[in-house]
Amino acid sequence: MGTAEGVDLRVELAGIPLKNPFLVCSGTFGNGREMSELVDLEALGGLMTKAVTLRPCAGNPPPRLWETRWGVLNSIGLENKGLERFLSEDLPWLSRFDLPVWVNVAGFSSREYVEVASAVSRSGMVAAVELNISCPNVERGGAHFSRHPGEAAGLVARVREVVDIPLFVKLPPLAVGMGEMARAVAEAGADGLSLVNTIPAMAVDVERACPRLGNVTGGLSGPALHPVAVHAVWEASGAVDLPVIGMGGVWSCSDAIELLMAGAGAVAVGTLNLVDPRAVPRLVEELRGFMSAKGYRTVTEMVGLLRRKGWR
Amino acid sequence: MNLPPHLFKATLLERRDYGCASELVFRVPPGFQPQPGQFLHLLCDGEGRVLRRPFSVFGHDGRSASVLVREVGGGSAWLRRRIPGDELDVLGPLGRGFDLDVEGEEALLVAGGAGVAPLAYLGRRLGERGAKATLLWGMESGEEYGALPERLGEEIDLRLATADGSRGKRGTVLDLLPPGRPEAGFRYYACGPRPMLLALASRLVPGRLSSLQVSVEERMACGLGACRGCAVPVADPPGGYRAACREGPVFGGEELDWERLRVSI
Repeated sequence: MGTAEGVDLRVELAGIPLKNPFLVCSGTFGNGREMSELVDLEALGGLMTKAVTLRPCAGNPPPRLWETRWGVLNSIGLENKGLERFLSEDLPWLSRFDLPVWVNVAGFSSREYVEVASAVSRSGMVAAVELNISCPNVERGGAHFSRHPGEAAGLVARVREVVDIPLFVKLPPLAVGMGEMARAVAEAGADGLSLVNTIPAMAVDVERACPRLGNVTGGLSGPALHPVAVHAVWEASGAVDLPVIGMGGVWSCSDAIELLMAGAGAVAVGTLNLVDPRAVPRLVEELRGFMSAKGYRTVTEMVGLLRRKGWR
Repeated sequence: MNLPPHLFKATLLERRDYGCASELVFRVPPGFQPQPGQFLHLLCDGEGRVLRRPFSVFGHDGRSASVLVREVGGGSAWLRRRIPGDELDVLGPLGRGFDLDVEGEEALLVAGGAGVAPLAYLGRRLGERGAKATLLWGMESGEEYGALPERLGEEIDLRLATADGSRGKRGTVLDLLPPGRPEAGFRYYACGPRPMLLALASRLVPGRLSSLQVSVEERMACGLGACRGCAVPVADPPGGYRAACREGPVFGGEELDWERLRVSI
């Protein structure tokens, strides 16, 4: 599908070839199986799994969802079956497809991150590790790592020692210091960045005077997050020479192209998958049409285009 | 085993208004076979709305299906403004429906408010199978759902309770249950507000919880079990959750952790 109509959608991230630049974000596509009745998994550029922790994790008390204007708050709390069942049930099923898989690794301590990342890397069924140090919904769920570049770098360095495949680090949107954070994790050995995770957020039921979420606070995703993601990609890609996967409220093809032009080497669709499981194949076709109309022959021509045009 | 869901644009054939709710009847594709208790996930456009809204299947005749939309917010209000000829964006049928095997027992369908939708569909299906089924329906007042009680009464044995006593028995739907501890011989199917479900469960002796099936209402995102947003507390494993959209929305009474359901009201 790469070169039809003179348009080449293929991209390469940290040495991983993708047939198109659209991945699906962690937590919005399960581990593929849940969505596979509705969408051809091989139409995706790549899949980022639901977060995996060392032990099974029940997740947060409900309600876990609240819709805001052009956004969604969630506080899932890393619900998953744990590393052992992920390796024995989900990963073998996923590996049958021609589909690069990023495994989202989460933990409640540095040791857990290292243990999960090491096992995932050794499985031989995975393209890359996505280190989730930015889940806003779990105490000690990694978010403290992403508040301090030194702590983040320390964790990345430890995980780097046990991972033989590309290591991406997923960061939250940072109002200040995105460049500093990107440099810290790059120097610690990261091969790429995932930008951005949800932004900490909250909503209140004023009739009952109580929080909308059982966990009180959550993370905001959806279109409301998109310009924040574009900014984060812009800042990070200006600071480090690492591939960036841009994500955050991609709702249309032009949203995705914004992230590419700001510096992302690929994009990931998140909340939109929850509304339209077939969003990625649709966006792929729209991107092909856009490139054809504008005369772009490769996706790479659009990546970081703003800086190449002189914007700083 | 459920068939895979469809994702399709459905032409609205008819909108029947019943007081606070509207039945939306739309065309469905070939092979669309919803089980009672399964739901459809409908897109609601406009004003920054992002997620689909889940509605239990209310009716299905092979070529068309319907849902009952009660206005509770902007999304349902938008749906109620659709007119015949409009297109709906539908994902479904989704989830696990009711177990229709009553094994010779009598089915009591216990509905609160708009929770009548899946139970009316269930009642029709049970009737087709020759099972004895009675629909018990509680609402605020006799006018709340317009002429819907008359229509459902033509299809199924229906008894009403109203909070203001304007129609049927004064009280809640639970006042329509057989007096005392329900004895063996009944299967209970329920859908309605959480307090109603809790009260019903507490009326059943613990050993009889397995005779109860409930359809739970939760805020949902994907509808496919991928995001784990619609968590329902379950008894096994202790402290664990199941996704209402995939492992539900129908759960056996013995599957749920009723204590945690009570706390999270």
